[in-house]
Amino acid sequence: MVPMPSKHHAVANAVNEFTVLPLALPPTSSFPKKATHYLYLRPNAPKLPTADTPREVFLVNVPVDSTETHIRALFAGQLGGSRIDRVDFEGARAGKGITAPVTSVKKGRKRKRTDAEGNVSTAEEVGKLPETWDRELHRSGGTAIVTFVDKASSDLAMKEARKAAKAGQEIQWSLVIEAQAKLLGSARYTAHHSLAYPDSAVLQQSVDDFMTAFSAQESARSRALTKQRSVPDSDGFVTVTRGGRAGPAREEEAREKGEELKKREKQRVGEDFYRFQTREKRKAEQMDLVKGFEEDRRRLEEMRKRRGKVRPE
Amino acid sequence: MHGGPQSLVSLASRKVPVTIHTLSPREIWDFDLTYAHTPTDRRVNMAVPASKRRKIEHESSEEDDGASFASFGESDSEADHEAEQDVDVDNANDLEGDVSDDGDEEEQATGRGSAPKQSRKAQNEDRPKSQKPVSASDGGALTAGSFKSNMFRLQVDELLQQIRPRRGKREESAEQALHALKRTIEGSAPRPACSVVEAERELLTSSKVTIPFPNPRPPKDAKYKLEYAKPANINVVGSFVLKTSSRTKETLDVDMSVTMPSSLFQDKDYLNYRYFYKRAYYLACIAAAVQQAHSGEYDLCMQSFRDDGLKPVLVIAPKESLGRGGDIKPAPNWRINVLPCVGADVFPADKLLPSRNCVRPAEHAGAEPTPSYNSSLRADMLMAQSLKLVHSAATTCDAFRDACMLGSTWLRQRGLGSSISAGGVGNFEWAALMALLLQGGGNNGKPILSERYSSYQLFKASLQVFAMKDMSKQAVIIGQAAGDVRAAATGLPMVWDGARSHNLLYKVQPWAYLQLRREARNTLEMLGDQLYDGFDATFILRLNNPLLCTDRVLELSVETVKDQRKLYDILKQGLGDRVNQLHFRLPSGQSWQLSAAAPEYASRGILQIGIVINPKTVDRTVDHGPTAENKTEANSFRKFWGEKAELRRFKDGSISESLVWASGEAGQSVLEQIVRFLIKRHVSEAAEAAASFMSDAFSPMLRPGVSNATFQPIVDAFKQLETDVKGLEDLPLSVRQIMPADAQLRYSSIQPPATVPNRHRPMPADVTIQFEGSARWPDELVAIQRTKIAFLLNISDKMREAVNGATTRIGLENRDHDILNQGFLEIVYDAGPAFRMRVHHDREQTLLERQLKDKSLAPSAKEAAAVGLATFKRNYLRTPGHTQAIAGLCSRYPALSATIRLTKKWFCSHLLAYHIPEEVVELMVARTFVQPWPWQAPSSVQTGFLRTLHWLSRWDWRAEPLIVDLSGSAELKQYDVQSIKTRFEAWRKLDPSMNRIVLFAASNIDTDGTTYTDGRPSRVIASRMTALAKAASAQIEELQLSLEPASLFSSPLDDYDFVLHLSAVAWGGNKRSSSKGRTAFKNLELASLDDTSSVGFDPAALFLDELQDLYGSAVLFFSGGAERPVIAGLWNPQTAPRSWKVNLAYSTVPVKAANAEGVQARINKDAILSEIARLGGDLIERVVA
Repeated sequence: MVPMPSKHHAVANAVNEFTVLPLALPPTSSFPKKATHYLYLRPNAPKLPTADTPREVFLVNVPVDSTETHIRALFAGQLGGSRIDRVDFEGARAGKGITAPVTSVKKGRKRKRTDAEGNVSTAEEVGKLPETWDRELHRSGGTAIVTFVDKASSDLAMKEARKAAKAGQEIQWSLVIEAQAKLLGSARYTAHHSLAYPDSAVLQQSVDDFMTAFSAQESARSRALTKQRSVPDSDGFVTVTRGGRAGPAREEEAREKGEELKKREKQRVGEDFYRFQTREKRKAEQMDLVKGFEEDRRRLEEMRKRRGKVRPE
Repeated sequence: MHGGPQSLVSLASRKVPVTIHTLSPREIWDFDLTYAHTPTDRRVNMAVPASKRRKIEHESSEEDDGASFASFGESDSEADHEAEQDVDVDNANDLEGDVSDDGDEEEQATGRGSAPKQSRKAQNEDRPKSQKPVSASDGGALTAGSFKSNMFRLQVDELLQQIRPRRGKREESAEQALHALKRTIEGSAPRPACSVVEAERELLTSSKVTIPFPNPRPPKDAKYKLEYAKPANINVVGSFVLKTSSRTKETLDVDMSVTMPSSLFQDKDYLNYRYFYKRAYYLACIAAAVQQAHSGEYDLCMQSFRDDGLKPVLVIAPKESLGRGGDIKPAPNWRINVLPCVGADVFPADKLLPSRNCVRPAEHAGAEPTPSYNSSLRADMLMAQSLKLVHSAATTCDAFRDACMLGSTWLRQRGLGSSISAGGVGNFEWAALMALLLQGGGNNGKPILSERYSSYQLFKASLQVFAMKDMSKQAVIIGQAAGDVRAAATGLPMVWDGARSHNLLYKVQPWAYLQLRREARNTLEMLGDQLYDGFDATFILRLNNPLLCTDRVLELSVETVKDQRKLYDILKQGLGDRVNQLHFRLPSGQSWQLSAAAPEYASRGILQIGIVINPKTVDRTVDHGPTAENKTEANSFRKFWGEKAELRRFKDGSISESLVWASGEAGQSVLEQIVRFLIKRHVSEAAEAAASFMSDAFSPMLRPGVSNATFQPIVDAFKQLETDVKGLEDLPLSVRQIMPADAQLRYSSIQPPATVPNRHRPMPADVTIQFEGSARWPDELVAIQRTKIAFLLNISDKMREAVNGATTRIGLENRDHDILNQGFLEIVYDAGPAFRMRVHHDREQTLLERQLKDKSLAPSAKEAAAVGLATFKRNYLRTPGHTQAIAGLCSRYPALSATIRLTKKWFCSHLLAYHIPEEVVELMVARTFVQPWPWQAPSSVQTGFLRTLHWLSRWDWRAEPLIVDLSGSAELKQYDVQSIKTRFEAWRKLDPSMNRIVLFAASNIDTDGTTYTDGRPSRVIASRMTALAKAASAQIEELQLSLEPASLFSSPLDDYDFVLHLSAVAWGGNKRSSSKGRTAFKNLELASLDDTSSVGFDPAALFLDELQDLYGSAVLFFSGGAERPVIAGLWNPQTAPRSWKVNLAYSTVPVKAANAEGVQARINKDAILSEIARLGGDLIERVVA
C-alpha cells in the first residue's frame, strides 16, 4: 500500500477559491489507521444567484456517509458555532460529471429526479413509494450546499474554516455525532431489508394515491389537448397535437399500411419476371460470393496478425 | 497476504513467463489492444524468376519411377540447390539463421512453391463443379463445395504453407549423410556364412555389436547359416523422399532401405523367424561397418521398427560437432533409419496370407494363423512397391501430397502414429490407403477417391472410409483378393491390398482402431456442423491430454500386464455399458546401444488406460446377468466373475445371476471396484496392488453432491406455485403464464437451494408472471409500475386467503429508476423454497422504444429508457427462455448441471463473479456440451470443466463472438449465425476500444449477444479471465494426471491494492452479538425477526452494490460472492495525480505541485478506506491494504 501522500508532500491549505479543511478520521477496529479527509469549502457563487446565495457555503468532497447532523455539528461544534438552516447534498448520481456549483434545489432534500418523471411530479408528491433506506449515502467526492441562518453566520463559518486550515488545527469528524445517526454496517442493511418490505396497507394507499392523481392528470391533459386542438392561439394557428379522433395508435397504423403497400408493389411484378431481373440477381449473388471471400481473406489476415502463423500445436 | 503455496497464479507466473504480463490485474489495466500494433507485415518477396519457379514445381515429375536413390541424390538436389541459391541472393542474411527459424526465407520458399500450384489446383477444382455459378473474378478461388467454406479453405492453404517440407540445412545435412552411408554400406566387405553362435561371437569381439535377434532368439544348434553380402540395392524411402511429411516435426526422419540380396535366403526362411534372424544379422553387420567408418560423426543405436519387436533397425543421428571457434554446434535434427528388406519375389506371397501359420509349434503342425508375423515379413518385401504406389498416386493426383499432410497432421494431433504403441496408423498408412482408394475399394471395385478431388475432399473422403466401414467386420478390399482373406479377418481391421497381397492395417490394435473410427466420426460430424469452423479442432488442437479426453484414468505397470489385448477384452466385457470408451496408451519402445542386447519389448513403463464413462449407468450397483435356466451362459458368467457372481431373485420374479457392488459414496466408486476386481481376478494381485485409479477429483468440490436431485424440491415448489397462482379466483386479469427466470430453477446455482428452513436463509428464485392482454393498463411507464404493484398486492391478498403453507409480501426495488420494475411479490413456502414474482407487461417495451426514438427528450431520459429497455428484455424476454433452455439441457446431459456449478465456483474463487454474469458462464459451459468438438459431449464433471477452461483460455473474445445453440435441435440456423456475427462486427466497429461491449455471448434465445454483457465485464476483467484460464490450462497441460484440483481454484490476494475481509455477519451466519450494548435501537430488533423475513437478505451483496455506486469510477471491485468472503479492490489508474478541480469523482488530497504553482489532486486512499471501513462497520473484519 502506498503511504499517505500527505506525509511526503505539502498539503495545500487553499486551492482556487476553496479553503481546504482537513478532517481527522477516527480509526476503526477494521481499519486501525488514522486518516485525514480533506473538505473544500467556499461561499457559494452559482451562475444564477438566488436570494439565498449570500448565506450559502459550497462544500466539495463531502464524506460519503455525512448527514445533515454531521454538517451541523461540524460547524456548530468546531467552526465557530454558526447555525445552519439546511444542508442540500448533491443528489444526481449521474455517471461521470456533476455540474458545479449546484444550485439550490427547491424541493428540499428530495433527490433530483429525471425528466421522464418530471411529467408526473404532481402525482409523485402524493403517491411516493415508501423509503427503503434509513440513511442516505453520497457519491465519493460529491458536493453539498450548506445554507446558514444568515449571511453573518456563513461568513463566520468561512472565516473559522480558513483560520483552522491555516493553523493546521485538527478538526474531528463524526466522533460524537455518529452515535446519534442511524447505524452503518450490517444494522443499516438489516434496516433496509425490513424497509424494503413495507406494510401492504401503506403500499396500497400509496399506489391508490398515485393512480388517482395519475388519472386526474391524464384527464386534465386530454382536456388541455382537446382545447388546444380546437382553439387557435394568438397568431391564429391551431396547434397540431397527437391523439385526435383516431386515437394514439394512428401513427403506427399509418406506417404499417405504408409498408404493406410497398410489399404489395413488389409482389405485383414477380422477382423473376424480366430477364434483367434474373441477370441482376445472379450478378448480385456472385458479388456476394466475391465479397464474402474477400471478407474471409481479410479475417484470416487479421487472425494471422493476432495469433501468428497457422501451425499445428 | 499470501496465497497458498500451490496457488495457481504464482505457479503459472513462474513457469509460463508469457502469461506473466497479463496475470497481474494491475498490469492488465494497461493492457491495450497492443496486438493490433505489432509489426507483422512480412515481406513476401516473389522476385524469383518464373523459369526457375517452374523447374522446382516440376521436380517431382523429373524423378523417375521408384524414386531411386541416385535420382533423388543428384537431379533433385540439383534443382533444389538452385532454388536455395535463389533464396540466397534474395535474402542472404536470413540463411544465417537457424533452420527452424521462421523468417522471410520460409515465406519465400512456400510462397514460391504454392503460387503456381494453387492456380492449377483451383482450375481443377472448378471443373467438376461447372454446373454451379462460380465467379471467375478470383481465379476460381471461391470454394463452391470443394471445401467446407472459404474461411476453412484459406486456413488450410495457410496451414499447408507452414508444414510443407522444404529444403533447409537440416535436409541438406541429412542428404550428405545418406550419400556417405551409402558409400560405406556398399563398400563393406562380405562376410562368409557361419553358424549363429560363431556369428554372434565374431561380431561381438570384432566390433562390439550384439546381434539384435528377436525374441525368441534362434536356437544354438540351428542348422542354417548367417551370411552377409553386398546389398542388392540401397534406396531412400518413406515420407522424406515422397515429401509428404510435415516439416514442423522436431526431428526429420529419413528411412533408408537396404535390400538384402536374395542369395542369402532359402525357400523356407519365411518360417519360424528364420528371415528375421538373418535380417538381424545383416543389420548388425551394417551397424558394424557404419560404426567403424563413422563413429566420430554419428551416434548409432538400435530400435524396434514401429515397435515391432521382430524388426530392429539401425538409427543414425548426427553428433554435436565442434565449430570453428571451438564452441559446440548443436547437431542438426535428423535421424536416418536403416531398414533392411528383401525383394518382393523372395518368398511366395500366398504363404504369408493372414490366414496362414508361419511359426510352427514344436509339437504338432496345423496351429493358429499368425497374421501379424506374416504381415510384418510381407511389409519388408513390399518396401519398394509401397513407395512406388504412393509415388505414382502423388504424380497423378495433384492434391495428394497436401491431403497426405492434412491426414498426417490430423493423426498426429490425435496421438496416432505408425508405431504399434501409437496405434499403428500413421503417415505411411494414411498415404498408402489414399493411394489405394484412388484405385479401388468402392462398389464393384470402383475407386472411392477421384484424382480431381481437392486436398480437403481427399482428406474428408478418407475419413469417411474410416468412419463408415467397420474394417474389423468386413475387410476393405482393393484389387483382387485371394480367396480366404475375408474369412481371416479376426476382429482386427483389414485393408487388403490385392495387388500386393498385404493387409495395410496389420499393426492396428483393437482399441486404436476404435479410437480411429471414433475420431473420424467426430471430425466428420464437426466438419458437417455448418455453424462451427472446425479448422482449429481438426488440425491445430492437440488432443492427447488424458484429463481432457477421458473421464477416469487407470495406470498399470507394463511389467505386470504382459498381454494387453487380453486385459482389453476383460475390461471391455466386465465394464459393459458402464463405459463408452476404453483407451489404451502403451509406452513407446526404447532404443538400445549396439553392444547391448535388445530389451524385451516395452517391458518398462506405464500402461495408461483412459476410460470414458457412461454417466447414466456408471454408478449402477446391481448388474443382472443371464437367467439361471440359461446354463451355458450362466456358467461362463460364473467363470468370468468367480465368487462375485450371485444367484438372486428379483422383484419381477426372475432368478438370475447378478453382481452387487457397494455404492460409491463411501470409498471407491463402483467403477473402481469393478476394475480392481477384474485385474485381481484375471491378471494378478500384484498388478491390482500396483494399479492406480484416478477417479473424478473435481466432483467432491461441489457440495452437497453433483446430482440434479438436489434441485428437485425447488423445481417441485415452482410447479406448486404455478398451480397455486393459476388456481386463484377473481383475479382482475387471468394469468397467461408463469416462467422461471433464475439459476436455481435451471439447476445452475453453485449452492443448491436450501430446503431446510432455519439452517440457511434461502435465496428467492426469480419468476415472471404474464397476464392476458387488457386495454385497461395505463399507457405510461411509471404508472405501469404502480399498476403492477397493485396487481401483486391483489395476488398477495388472495394467496394469503387461499393457499396454506406460504407467506407472501411485497418488496420494493430500483428506488432510483422509477421506470424500472418497482415491486415484486415474495412467496416463501413453509417447506423452504422462496420465489420473487415480477409482472411482465408487453406494452412497456413499446413505450420504452418509443421513448428512445423520441427526439425531443433529454439525453438523460433517453439513457434511462435505454437502460429500461435492456433490463426489460433481459428480465422478461431472455432470462425465462434461457432458464428453460438450460434446464432442458441439464436433463439431457447429466454432467452439465454440475459442470456449470463448478465453473461458476471457479469464477467465484478468482473473484470474478461480480463482473461475469452467471448466464454468460452458463453459455460457456453449455458450449462445451452442445458444440463439443473435437470431442463428444463430456460425460463427467471433470472433462466438462477442464474442457471449458481449455476453450476459455483460447477464446479470443476480441475477435470471436460466443454463439451457442441451446435448443438441442439445431434451431439456430446459419442465417442467424451470420446475422449474429454481423451484429458482433458492428459492435466492434462502433466501439473498437471495447469500452462497452467486451464479451459478446449470443444463443438461439438471445441473438442480441449483449443482453448480459453490456458494460460488464470490462476489458480488464475479461483479460484477467483469459489470463487465469491460460494459467490453468498451462497447469493442466503440464501436470496432467498429477494435477491437484484445488490448485485451480486458488489465487493469491496480493495482486489487489486492498482487500476487505468480511466477517461472519456478512454471510448471515451469526446473529449479531449484542455486546455493543446498543440494543435500544429499533434496527437491532429486526435481527430477531422470524426466518421468513430474512429470506433473501444478503448484506454482503448490498454492501458491494453500494461500494460500486459510491466508488465505482475510482475503484474496481472484485468479489467471489458466497464462495470467498472477501471484497478486493484495485485503484483505477485514471485516479493518478492531476490538477485539482471540483468535479472529481473520488476523495482527494490537495497537494502543492513541485513548481509551487498549481495544486495537484491525489486520490485520498486512506480516507476512502477509512470511509469504507465505517460504512461496512461490523461487516468488515479487517481492511488489508
